[in-house]
Amino acid sequence: MLVTILVAGIAIGAIYAMIGLSYNMMYSTSKVVSFTPGQLGMIGAVFGAWFIGVLEVPLWLGFLGAMGVAVVYGFFTELVAVRPVLKSIEQHLYVLTTLAAALMIQQVVAIWWGTDPRPFPTLFGLGAGLASEKYWLPVVACFLAFIGLELFYRKTLWGAAFIAVAEDAEASRALGILDVRIRVVSYCLAGFIGALAGFMGGQLLLAFFALGATLTFYGFVPIAMGGIGSNRGALIGGFFLGILQQAANYFVGGVFVGVVTFAVFITVLLLVPRGLFGSAVARRV
Amino acid sequence: MKMKAMCIAAVLAAVSVALVAVPAWTQSSAPPLKIGWLAALTGPNSTPGIGQDRGIRYAADQINKAGGVMGRKIEIVSRDTQGDPTKAVNAALEMINNDKVEFTIGPTNSGECLATQPVIARYKVPSFPIGVVDSLIDTVKFPYSFRVSNNNTQWQESVLNYALKVLKAKKIGIIGDTTGYGTMSVNLSEQLLKAQGGVSITYKGEVEANQTDVMADLRKAQSSGAEVMVVWTDSAGLNSRLMNARAELNWNVPFVGHPVLGAGAVKPLLAKPENWKNVFNVGYRPMSFDDNGKLPEKSQKFVETVSSAGVKLDDTMLWWVGLGVDTIQLIKDTVEAAKSSKADDVKRMLEAGKTFNGVYCTSCAYSPTNHNGYPTDDVVMNRADSFRAGAYAIAPGYGK
Repeated sequence: MLVTILVAGIAIGAIYAMIGLSYNMMYSTSKVVSFTPGQLGMIGAVFGAWFIGVLEVPLWLGFLGAMGVAVVYGFFTELVAVRPVLKSIEQHLYVLTTLAAALMIQQVVAIWWGTDPRPFPTLFGLGAGLASEKYWLPVVACFLAFIGLELFYRKTLWGAAFIAVAEDAEASRALGILDVRIRVVSYCLAGFIGALAGFMGGQLLLAFFALGATLTFYGFVPIAMGGIGSNRGALIGGFFLGILQQAANYFVGGVFVGVVTFAVFITVLLLVPRGLFGSAVARRV
Repeated sequence: MKMKAMCIAAVLAAVSVALVAVPAWTQSSAPPLKIGWLAALTGPNSTPGIGQDRGIRYAADQINKAGGVMGRKIEIVSRDTQGDPTKAVNAALEMINNDKVEFTIGPTNSGECLATQPVIARYKVPSFPIGVVDSLIDTVKFPYSFRVSNNNTQWQESVLNYALKVLKAKKIGIIGDTTGYGTMSVNLSEQLLKAQGGVSITYKGEVEANQTDVMADLRKAQSSGAEVMVVWTDSAGLNSRLMNARAELNWNVPFVGHPVLGAGAVKPLLAKPENWKNVFNVGYRPMSFDDNGKLPEKSQKFVETVSSAGVKLDDTMLWWVGLGVDTIQLIKDTVEAAKSSKADDVKRMLEAGKTFNGVYCTSCAYSPTNHNGYPTDDVVMNRADSFRAGAYAIAPGYGK
């Protein structure tokens, strides 16, 4: 039984972790906590199912198509919901604008795709039972995304520019880095990672218009626990949350999953307000 | 000239006499019988409302073509509530106060009905809510409300009777979702089973409707030794996940429960079509195919009649359409029998105990202490994988 809980918990935890990475990617260059990463996961699942399951395009093309839609949506989010409010970021107007962008895409998908969950196709047909690909594909994708991001930050010039903008946008601008362009790229990349979560976890999640709200909610918990901006924190927080949910459901019942999750969440934040891997940020006074 | 004036006077006199001689209600100026129809016609919960809407409009058209109700044409005043209780309450108030409807039908789910029932009751408008929650019908709180469809207790009794008497199970597992409805239904099943005696509840669990994996839950149920799983969720996603997990565990335990176990939305979510075997959903005897694949004669005739009138049945449930037709017909019969559409006259007539023989509610009867009209014996189990032409096959064990 323990194995079942762990396998399912790690799989769903990997999906949460990828949504957390998407949150971080957007936050790093804009300091905006966007409400759209869960919708990116929904786009990955729904458009993956549409391209591969309905249009019957080859797997690789379906993958690119779903990722492409999410990248465009990431771009749209930056352009419409983030850029106009950055000048007055202290007023937290992005809460409204990104929430509006999230609701907009959810409603559009509900009208077009329908409000019933629909199947996500089997991608490779590998494994059965607890070794089924539906459990390990999200985990593999999560680690690839995490390692890819680490390599990107450490080994590429673009990565260095990302870190520079994340550290101090004004200073990086003074050094000639086009921070707006970096921000746009970061939102597109966040779109890719968020949609990857929905696509690789599609067999578990199903292609359902309402996925976005759930993923936005549970994807935020790992980064709050792990420390906003910390990819390592998102990874560990995501796996922890996934296993915690499965264990809570099994041992204390589904009605109490939310209670247990938030009891742990609040406890962690009380003990470590910046999250497990969050760092103290200097504030001008 | 004098002759012409006399002719005109004679014609006018004849018309006047004719107008006086004909009863007032048969004149074209007779006001329409306005029936408010509160239905979720768009949005996630709209599927039943769309089916019922077809029945209501079909019945109203047929009655109007035949002369109406005591000469009054039926006018359906429809509002799309979108499954939102706030919109449903606003729509009910608007149609009662502005449109002056004399009856209301709907809303089409229990959550909305819970919100509208007290409002409609305040205005003493005879109402026919469509929801299964038992408390929607209360002869003291809502004295003008009558239910044509079944209630939740009838579903529960049918499910548990099937599990205990037909499947002969002694160890029962109960699973539902964590919504208010799911939790309430699981607890009600537990209560009813405990009251039965001689039966043990080996597993009781509630899972979130969107839970991605239910293997652990079903393993727990399997290891408890459950011989039948009673399932209470209206989520097609969760129902299909439960069936897929059951197949992965190679556990062929019967699933017995909520109508959505047999919903069309479940089918594409199943890993294999055979995962739908040995699953039984609540249904209705008049709307079920028998062992020979035939509907009861009256229902078959109904299908032919409504189909020839252009009503689509292949993408909806037959009982939804039948419920719509029966409700309108019941209003017509009651108004004609009472010779009045006044609320107190209608209430008195409905409570008189006369049986209404509809197509879905084949023997609908009310009394001053009971405003639930659907006969419990007609609530039966269906084979979940047998849906065709708007109906299911009756589950094994009921005989002919």
